[in-house]
Amino acid sequence: MKILIVDDSSTMRRIIINTLSRIGYTDVVEGENGKSGLERLGQGGVEMIITDWNMPEMDGLEFVKVVRGQNPGIPILMVTTNAAKEDIVEALQAGVNNYVVKPFTPDTLKEKIESLLG
Amino acid sequence: MDQSEIDALLAGGSKSVSQSVADPIPPAESQEPHRDPSGHVIAELDTVTAVTERESNKVMDQLDQICRLVTRQQELITGMMAHAGSQDPGVQQAIHEVASAGKEIQDKVFEAMDLMQFQDITRQKLERILNHLRQIHDYIVDLLGTGTKSEGKRASISNTIAQTGTTPDENKAHADAVIEAFKSKNKG
Ligand SMILES: [Mg+2]
Repeated sequence: MKILIVDDSSTMRRIIINTLSRIGYTDVVEGENGKSGLERLGQGGVEMIITDWNMPEMDGLEFVKVVRGQNPGIPILMVTTNAAKEDIVEALQAGVNNYVVKPFTPDTLKEKIESLLG
Repeated sequence: MDQSEIDALLAGGSKSVSQSVADPIPPAESQEPHRDPSGHVIAELDTVTAVTERESNKVMDQLDQICRLVTRQQELITGMMAHAGSQDPGVQQAIHEVASAGKEIQDKVFEAMDLMQFQDITRQKLERILNHLRQIHDYIVDLLGTGTKSEGKRASISNTIAQTGTTPDENKAHADAVIEAFKSKNKG
């Protein structure tokens, strides 16, 4: 199971990678914004996406819309500081399957990932 | 960075912050502080966010290293348990206790890693301050007809970061309630 993690914070990418490895997912590719996320996705093999919202170049919402245009089925989890109800609804409308507000616990991330894959 | 350091930066006194790191990132394109104070503060804050991210990664490196050492220790302990000379029940008990203490250390290291999320959240709060400063700066440049406008494509800004002190469990409950309402609305 190859998972793509897109976040402009390298610290946050490491935290997510650590949590994933603790629950058995070690095949991970990274992007630092939506643009590089699309490049990684284009290289093939990605089966799930975890993306941030606020990033330079291409933000997570735009990234999700582009991905959904190409791939309606891939599970997408948004992990972001954006906490308002309107933000969550906007992301769901754009096509994310689930949503996590930072800061999160590893249990939350685990639960969301398992519900997307289950 | 605490509030007093932010205040010091805004007042132009950033020395204590940049001196506290071993090899500070060189400040962005220095600008004359008196002619262009807002541009100076923007450059300083950009430097602070870059430095904190780099320093956070150093902390993460150390935590990774501790994890690897504990894993190595657990492997040694497993090897020890199989050793013919350690079959005495008292020795086996002691080895078990050492192994479970190692596991506790690893759990605490993972907790510390998770707490490093503060870096991204604080950075985004600073980004929001920076964005306001840039707007004021560009407005002044327009008004005076002199100076350089802030440049570069920036990250989108979170205007809805959960309030400081909101717990991860509260964040989860809030997001789950919105998702649930959205899903049931779109089902019906
Ligand atoms: Mg971000």
